Amino acid sequence: MRTKIETNNVHLHYGDFHALKGINMQIPERTVTALIGPSGCGKSSYLRLFNRMNDLIDGVRIDGKILIDNTDIYAIPQSEVDRLRRKVGMVFQKPNPFPKTIFENVAYGLRVNGLKDKKLIEGQVEKALRQAALWEEVKDKLKKSAFELSGGQQQRLCIARAMAIEPSILLMDEPASALDPISTGKIEELIYELKSNFTIIIVTHNMQQASRVSDYTGFFLLGELIEFDETKKIFRNPEKQQTENYITGRFG
Amino acid sequence: MLHVESEIQELKDRLIAMWDLVIKQLDKTQQALEGHDRDLALEIQATERRINAFELTIDRSCEDFIALLQPVASDLRFVLTALKINTNLERIGDIACGISEFISDHDTEFNREIIKHMEADRMLTLSIEMVKNLREAYLLENTAKARTVYKRDRMLDKINSVASFRAVDCLEKYPDQKRQTLHVLSMIRKIERIGDQAKNIAEEIIFYIEAKVIKHKRKEKDKEE
Amino acid sequence: MISFPTQVDRKKRFHQAIAFWIARIISYSILLILFFILFFILKRGIGVINWEFLTAMPSDGMTKGGILPAIVGTLYLVLMSMVIAFPVGVLSGIYVNEYAKEGAIKQFVKMMTNNLAGVPSIVFGLFGMALFVNRLGFGASILAGSLTLALLALPLIIRTTEESLKAVDDTFRHASYALGAGKLRTIRKVVLPIAFPNIITGLILGIGRVSGETAPILFTVAAYFLPKLPHSVFDQAMALPYHLYVISTSGTNIQASRPIAYGTAVILILIVLGMNLLANFVRSHYSRKVKMK
Repeated sequence: MRTKIETNNVHLHYGDFHALKGINMQIPERTVTALIGPSGCGKSSYLRLFNRMNDLIDGVRIDGKILIDNTDIYAIPQSEVDRLRRKVGMVFQKPNPFPKTIFENVAYGLRVNGLKDKKLIEGQVEKALRQAALWEEVKDKLKKSAFELSGGQQQRLCIARAMAIEPSILLMDEPASALDPISTGKIEELIYELKSNFTIIIVTHNMQQASRVSDYTGFFLLGELIEFDETKKIFRNPEKQQTENYITGRFG
Repeated sequence: MLHVESEIQELKDRLIAMWDLVIKQLDKTQQALEGHDRDLALEIQATERRINAFELTIDRSCEDFIALLQPVASDLRFVLTALKINTNLERIGDIACGISEFISDHDTEFNREIIKHMEADRMLTLSIEMVKNLREAYLLENTAKARTVYKRDRMLDKINSVASFRAVDCLEKYPDQKRQTLHVLSMIRKIERIGDQAKNIAEEIIFYIEAKVIKHKRKEKDKEE
Repeated sequence: MISFPTQVDRKKRFHQAIAFWIARIISYSILLILFFILFFILKRGIGVINWEFLTAMPSDGMTKGGILPAIVGTLYLVLMSMVIAFPVGVLSGIYVNEYAKEGAIKQFVKMMTNNLAGVPSIVFGLFGMALFVNRLGFGASILAGSLTLALLALPLIIRTTEESLKAVDDTFRHASYALGAGKLRTIRKVVLPIAFPNIITGLILGIGRVSGETAPILFTVAAYFLPKLPHSVFDQAMALPYHLYVISTSGTNIQASRPIAYGTAVILILIVLGMNLLANFVRSHYSRKVKMK
């Protein structure tokens, strides 16, 4: 399998706080990678490196190399960051649809990136909503406000919104933590299906979720990547004692 | 199809493939016995290794299934059943291999009369039917079909229980073929164990389908009959 | 198992009841005072209000006739000051909250905005006279008055804009950036629509403040008596609060113009009330569209 994302000895500082300590990881294309670990372990910070979301925070310093498709994404000029973000979609913890119609939510990214052709936008919106397994539920109310959807539907709308611009990577920051079990199940099924088209990285607090949806799992602790391996290996027989303690709930 | 469902299907397919392999081993054992085909008997022994490997991969798949998908309710019953059936099938494979060893060890053909008298061939036929019926029962989730093994198992038990007396007959009747008689008796003991394994599988299938633990109820039922 | 003394519950309930009643009485008495003022003014003023009162020029030393020029003048002043203050205030608010980097300059701007809000309105009036009327040569005019009123309303609008922008969850911004959107588009298409209902609150407060102020217009626009409608923004104009002040303190015949004074007060209250209701309607209309589940 081709390597999609690679990080070499990545360090991240928030001011004086050393948040990530020399992370090395190679993520193969079209797989799901789960990042697990206790709160504050750096997994979310690590996720946000890949679409340069950390740039938005003052006092962030990033060292090391982060390669996507063999390009160092921190060596590109600032003007290329938007283009990078087009390639790397993101779904957030809380469903956060824009205060627009369902249609316009999905179309937003297309318009942002300069698409004007009405037919093309319509086609793309439908495709994204279908991919997000939401089309059947919303096709008759595309002109309604996105806030009329349930929490689970809103989150799938956000996934559709991210997918509409056809990124090749999808970052998910605890995408199901604010949802009920049924919606969570739907999101997990969706992730499982989406991996044939996307390289997905998901941050989760839920170990069962990590084991169910991912092919690879990385365990973070205090800013260090303790173990990164096939999910099967991690959950059957992890290499490190700390990993074992964490996934069996004997942590602390 | 849901993720968990596709995983179940995959595991099921693997188990059926294992089943087919075991059935093939039994069929070959029967052929080897009938025609005293020592080459075929050796082939069976060689294939035994494949069955062992198969058992290991299915075991691993079941472990992965439990570790990664945390099955509950019917999914959990399914995987536990698969795990146990897997072990039972491997044992049946072992037994087929064991029988084939008696065949390959003998440079002369078995005395048909001894086999007939002790009903070893009939036992083998019955046990193969049992394994085939169970495969069907598992595939079609048909408990009635699974229950057909109990009758055959009783028949096996009956033959097995008189086997020693019949062996004595044969020992007296064919004093120069004592080794053969004893080997046939050993085969019968082995085949009887196929019946036991088959019965276990039937219980697992019924447990999986009806969520009934019939192991404990069996005793009462036997008393009634 | 421990048994808790039962008196505790009774005591708790008693204290709670007292606290609730005190709070209730206080809030009801505020309402009562408000209604009393409204009732007092309405009772005395409603009698003089008729079509002529609204559409005629004042006459007979402001003891007779209507208050049309004052109504029109106030509407002009409110509208124009808001046209000036709203965009400037909102843009400043956006700058402070979205663009300005955390640091000394931002702190200074915020401090100054707060200080501006605390300046007495008469000082604004003097400043307006010095700058707009004299230095810039607008003379006493609607333009000078509106600019002065706009200055008065500005801190209010800046603060509310800032607060409403701050209340917009960062994940909305991040979601927009994550789709490759720039800052400007994110603010325009995502942040402002969410913050809009709250920004409207700033506008409401601004209107309320501006339409009732007398001191800032005293030297910059208000005419003592001007029985004609303004033709351009460089004209002087009458205004309701100033007119009210004039006829109740320094008119030709204060006693005779008393009913007109109350009538004027009623109209002033109605205008402020009406604008608030309108703004409230706009606000709830938008917030329904933006409402989060």
